[in-house]
Amino acid sequence: MRGLVPLMLLPCALAMAAPPSPSASEHLTEVALSGAVTSSRFTVTTMDYTVPEVQLVRDDGRRVSLPRELDDGRAVVLNFIFTSCSSICPLSSQTLAQFQRDLGAERDQVHLVSISIDPEQDTPARLREYAKKFGAGRGWQHYTGSLEASLAAQRAFDADRGAKMSHSPVILLRGADDRHWRRIDGFITPDELLGEYRKLPARH
Amino acid sequence: MWTAALLAVLLSAPALPHAPDTGTGESIYRSGIGSSGVAITGSRDSSAAVAGADAACANCHRRSGLGQLEGRISIPPISGPYLFHPRAKEGDDLDLPFVESMRPDREPYTEASLAQTIRSGVGPDGRVLSYLMPRYAIGDEDMASLIEYLKGMTPSSVPGVTASVLHFATIITPDADPVRRRATLSVLEQYFTDKNAFARAASERLRSSHRMMFKANRHWMLHVWELSGAPDTWEQQLQLDLRREPVLAVISGAGGSNWSPVHRFCEHASLPCLFPNVELPVVDDRDFYSMYFSRGVLLEADLIAHQLSADREGRSAAQRVVELYRHGDVGAAAAAQLAAAFPDDAYTVLRRPVDGNPGRAGVAAALRDVRPQDIVVLWLRPSDLTELARVPVRARTVYMSALMGGLERTTLPQAWRPVTRMAYPFDLPAGRRIRMDYPLGWFSMRGIAVVDEQVQADTYLACGLLAETLSHMSDSFIRDYLLERLEGMLEHRVITGYYPHLSLAPGQRFASKGGYLVSFDGGQGPGIRAASEWITP
Repeated sequence: MRGLVPLMLLPCALAMAAPPSPSASEHLTEVALSGAVTSSRFTVTTMDYTVPEVQLVRDDGRRVSLPRELDDGRAVVLNFIFTSCSSICPLSSQTLAQFQRDLGAERDQVHLVSISIDPEQDTPARLREYAKKFGAGRGWQHYTGSLEASLAAQRAFDADRGAKMSHSPVILLRGADDRHWRRIDGFITPDELLGEYRKLPARH
Repeated sequence: MWTAALLAVLLSAPALPHAPDTGTGESIYRSGIGSSGVAITGSRDSSAAVAGADAACANCHRRSGLGQLEGRISIPPISGPYLFHPRAKEGDDLDLPFVESMRPDREPYTEASLAQTIRSGVGPDGRVLSYLMPRYAIGDEDMASLIEYLKGMTPSSVPGVTASVLHFATIITPDADPVRRRATLSVLEQYFTDKNAFARAASERLRSSHRMMFKANRHWMLHVWELSGAPDTWEQQLQLDLRREPVLAVISGAGGSNWSPVHRFCEHASLPCLFPNVELPVVDDRDFYSMYFSRGVLLEADLIAHQLSADREGRSAAQRVVELYRHGDVGAAAAAQLAAAFPDDAYTVLRRPVDGNPGRAGVAAALRDVRPQDIVVLWLRPSDLTELARVPVRARTVYMSALMGGLERTTLPQAWRPVTRMAYPFDLPAGRRIRMDYPLGWFSMRGIAVVDEQVQADTYLACGLLAETLSHMSDSFIRDYLLERLEGMLEHRVITGYYPHLSLAPGQRFASKGGYLVSFDGGQGPGIRAASEWITP
């Protein structure tokens, strides 16, 4: 609670996502207090995540293995959503949708992965409806599963905030043959996301 | 002081439910629809625009207008008082309900600067609003309506809230089972007594700040609204009750086969109705004010449908499903829901009402032509289940409702148990044992007889959820905000009684989403074991 106080007093523009480390947090607060605005919308950090063997249910109803879904030869753009979310998730999904359209001919080389953090509510049918609403093209799948499986996936990417309503905007990127993830905390525009994608190594 | 002002209002005028403006401002705020039905649009930098429902203010600032904290993203309250108040160093310095995301230390908006900010995304002090906040294209007339609506949003008086007392009601319908009624009231009355004993003991020392004072000092008062007569008169009875005894919210309660009039009343009166003990809740995505622990027998029907669909795979011949229920009981709706799950030829579903009083061979008659390959579904009460002892077990697969049949204490005859699976929308007894230590210990220490453990546990849980939510609300006792805070708080709750976990979100009104199919242990005791994993159909 105490940690939130300085942020609450900041103007809205500076409301930030939970940063990945304490040092980054201090940095962000400093930036925020100094009045920098647009550049503090998001941070990008390189992370080394190990994806555990987690069984999820894809939006077509099939049970799949998360690591196998991620290691299919394509680059990966991953986020966490829930379909009842009316604030952050729609923005994140809209960003991914525009990003996917902007990929143009490269579209089939990128796998967009959206994992529900409210899996008991988000049945495959609900996820399909959500995907359709955002115009998700081929190559963008939504995933649900048991509560435990969703939590395991969130923990693997340090995206578990204890409850779905406490979530923060995170997008994760990884090149096709890369081991490292680029973690984007905060609000990124589709253009900026495309820029981050183009910076990935080993792009085909 | 906020409370002083509130008290003055309460003394000077009869407290009526907050009647929201139904004009254009409200429509823009809640649905993103402006005058003449045109969708409001907004944009964020290079992202695609948002329009209509996706652009509605309520999506982020919530129906209450009091904003929210979402993770570390702080969405400020935007109801009039929070926009136009004079600059203050801290929230406590303002005569406004405290909310965490308020920004007291900011120059007050004027109507002109607010309109400009909503359109440009830049505040009067030059600060750029969050990327999350779209920049809206709203014409002058619609803007004026919206600002007018914002100004009137936070009610100046909240029914059922006085300087020293929070009033709550519980509703009992005449068709509620007498045991369930007694179970509900025994827990509610004791909980309120306990709550007030604590409030008295702690009052003086905690007068340290605006926030703490109200948390500690308000007493809870319970009004029991017992309905009588025909269901079509209940809403009118409740309107009179509410006028006579204004309350902040309805807590728990006991219903029978028809809860719909109560649900509708709460919706019309903008009155939170929290976790009543009902087996057949009203499921309507558009509704806001009623929250339930689960979808009850409708969830049971979905659990059975889920299993039937799974069993169906790979089989060719259509099987018959024979559902037994009684007219006028909740099983009728459950049976209809199960039948509706198989609109094609996957199963031939026959719905059979049981006639006559229990014990008059009605059940036997309804099962007369059942063949071994048929599936039987029992939406029956213990008195009808007992009668099965005189009916030969012909079907090889039987499903039954736990809620109607008495959970693991069911009267289902021994001969039927080996072939029966029970839809069980709760955690298994072994899974909930530790969580149940709290309520059972509480009942025992206070001498409350356990007459219906599940109903009493749910009632105790409802009270605990209310208390915890109110403690998060400081003195901001506003009805819509109460529901919004419950949505956010519920998932953090560890002690969840009969349920493995609870969770809500905007638009979600059923806190526990799943259940098991269970089978009976061979012995004479009430033993059950999981016949499926936890299913969330």
